[in-house]
Amino acid sequence: MTTLHVLNASPSNAAQLSSCLRLMSAGDGLMLCGEAVQALRDGSAAAQQLLGGERAYQLYALEEDVLARGIDAAALSVTLVDYPAFVALCVDYARVNSWT
Amino acid sequence: MAKSVLLISRHAPWAGSDAGEALDIALAAGAFDLPLSILFMDDGVLQLLEQQLPRMLEQKDLSANLQALPMFGIEQLYVAQQCLNLRGLGDSCLAIAAERLDDQHIQQLLRQYDYVVTL
Repeated sequence: MTTLHVLNASPSNAAQLSSCLRLMSAGDGLMLCGEAVQALRDGSAAAQQLLGGERAYQLYALEEDVLARGIDAAALSVTLVDYPAFVALCVDYARVNSWT
Repeated sequence: MAKSVLLISRHAPWAGSDAGEALDIALAAGAFDLPLSILFMDDGVLQLLEQQLPRMLEQKDLSANLQALPMFGIEQLYVAQQCLNLRGLGDSCLAIAAERLDDQHIQQLLRQYDYVVTL
C-alpha cells in the first residue's frame, strides 16, 4: 500500500520537498518533475535533504527535465524515467499524491 | 464500496484560491457521500485559527464553510502538530476542532486512504 509522491515545484521557493519527505513511508516513491528536479543539483541544500539519513524510498526524476537543466544526477541514486515509464509508475503504486 | 479520499490542504486562507478550492472539493465529496477526511498541514493549518478578517484583503471568509463540514458528513479533520509548532501555534485554541497528529501518525493516515489529493 505504497504511495508515489509527485513534486513539480523548485525546492528553493516551496515547502513541498521537506513536507513531502516528512510524511513519506518506507517503500514509497518520490517522483521529481518540472522545476522540482533542481533538488538533484549536487551540493544543493535540497540534495542534502534527499541524501540525508537512510533513504527508505525510491527516487525517480523525469529524464528530459533533468537533461534540459544540465543537471548531473549521477551523485544521487536516482532512476531517470521517460513519460511512458512515469505513467507505469503511477499505475504501480497504490496511490499517487501530486503536490501543488 | 466508495473509494476513500484524504484531502491535504496546505495553503493559507488569504493567499489565493487554493484553500477555498480544497474546501470545495471536500464539500462536493460530502454531497456525494464520498468518505473524505481533511488533513491541514503547512500554511493550511492557518485556516483553523480564530478571529480572522479575510474581507480586509477582499478574500472570502472560509470559516462558515469549515463549520459546515460536519453537515456534509465530513467528520474527520486532522492537523499536523509540527506545522502548528513551527508557526508558534502549538497550544493555540483552534476555531475548528481537528485531531492533532505527529508525523508518524500522518504517515499511517496516508496509507489508510484509496486516494490522496494535495492542494
